[in-house]
Amino acid sequence: MRYALLVYSDQSSWDGIGEEEAARLRAEAMPQWITLFEEMGKADPDVVGYELESASEAKVVRVRDGERIVTDGPFADTKEVVGGIFLTTLPDLDEAIRIASLVPAAAYGSLEIRPLADHGDAG
Amino acid sequence: MAILARVLGDLELAEDAVQDAFAAALRRWPRDGTPRNPGAWIVTTARNRAIDRIRREQAFRRKAELLARLERLPTEDDDVTTIPDERLALVFTCCHPALAVEAQVALTLREVCGLTTAEIARAFLTAEPTLAQRLVRAKRRVRAVGIPIRVPPAHLLPERLPGVLRVVYLVFNEGYAASAGDRLVRHDLCAEAIRLSKLLCVLMPDEPEAFGLLALLLLQGSRRSARIGPGGDLVLLRDQDRALWDDEGIAEGLRTLERALRMRRPGPYQLQAAIAAGHAQGSSPEAIVAVYDELARLDPSPVVRLNRAVAVALAGDVEHGLALLEELDELDGYPYLHSARADLLRRAGRDGEAARAYGRALELTGNEAERRFLRSRLAELGDER
Repeated sequence: MRYALLVYSDQSSWDGIGEEEAARLRAEAMPQWITLFEEMGKADPDVVGYELESASEAKVVRVRDGERIVTDGPFADTKEVVGGIFLTTLPDLDEAIRIASLVPAAAYGSLEIRPLADHGDAG
Repeated sequence: MAILARVLGDLELAEDAVQDAFAAALRRWPRDGTPRNPGAWIVTTARNRAIDRIRREQAFRRKAELLARLERLPTEDDDVTTIPDERLALVFTCCHPALAVEAQVALTLREVCGLTTAEIARAFLTAEPTLAQRLVRAKRRVRAVGIPIRVPPAHLLPERLPGVLRVVYLVFNEGYAASAGDRLVRHDLCAEAIRLSKLLCVLMPDEPEAFGLLALLLLQGSRRSARIGPGGDLVLLRDQDRALWDDEGIAEGLRTLERALRMRRPGPYQLQAAIAAGHAQGSSPEAIVAVYDELARLDPSPVVRLNRAVAVALAGDVEHGLALLEELDELDGYPYLHSARADLLRRAGRDGEAARAYGRALELTGNEAERRFLRSRLAELGDER
């Protein structure tokens, strides 16, 4: 099964945090990230993951009645936004849940597990 | 069915293949004689039918992988001895928390108990097409989100077992106190739940809560004939004719409970079974309150607190029981809160308030036998409705 793991968190909680404090928080979470990458690599050596730039950098594009409208994101009022994504092939949902709960953001944000649609012909 | 489902990870495909195999058996066994090992014959035939079905759609990469897995299955000459594990795997799959609870119940009855869609629809008073659709959606979901068909590894078992036991309990409860319709007890569902619960005990002989649940179902089930009077009406525990209790069921329930308790890992089902055992053996109300105290510590859910409040009142302290019921606002939509309150108010001689509470319970319940009971109580209080 191929899964996308979407990492949601409240990025505004990083606002107003000084450089030093931010560096300290990142360093604190480091061992968890290392554990995550070790476990992910064991479960699926081909796993890929990306961190997204802050949602405040986002642009939202819509085409309505043939007219293109570009606005600044994020487009929803929810506090939690997608901050990263993993694409991975795992044996089943239980394993996906186990891996997702190892992502540090699961402890303060949330992880969304989305199976990739299988139309039978995907490579 | 369980074996193929597990190998294929696809309930729909497995079910179709097994149906093909049984159809083939119906045609061939009368003509060629019953094979030496009918179970293995079915597995082998179903395996071959599954291969046929997959070959027909071989354009799909996923199916090629399934073909390889089928090739590795034991054939008729090998000994098929792993059936219990396969069946347990199926139970855990059907009760996976990624499925809605009602889908878990329906899927378990269909895939594990082998009930037909029509039987399940009848048992839950649902239209057959609705139920069939629910089953199809659940089976698709198993495949689409990758719910594994296997017994969870040891580290997942503690969080998954309660879900499985709850599904069995729900099946029993729907049979024992039907939430709608005009019959109070549907014996077929009770019997199915007891069978399922026995299967879990056989498959997981070291899980005290599995035995606790079985003991609870046996003890409650042993009273089910006495719960309904001649006119199909509800008969309360204290008014029941004990001669109608099933002594054998009670004895089996007590033995099962003993076995669970010997493992020295108490849990909510064992304690509920202990309470049911207390009722069956005529224990003192105080002893029953003591078990409720223990249960409320392990499981402080509102329904447990409701039952504990009633036990406290029956042990003599009606006012305290009523005070405990007042704390249960979150159960306002639950008819048994109001009927229990009404009963205690009547004992306390507060007839006006009792009538109002019976009235509220009557508004909330859909079961005809229970409605008749509530109306008769209202009539005793001089309120005809």
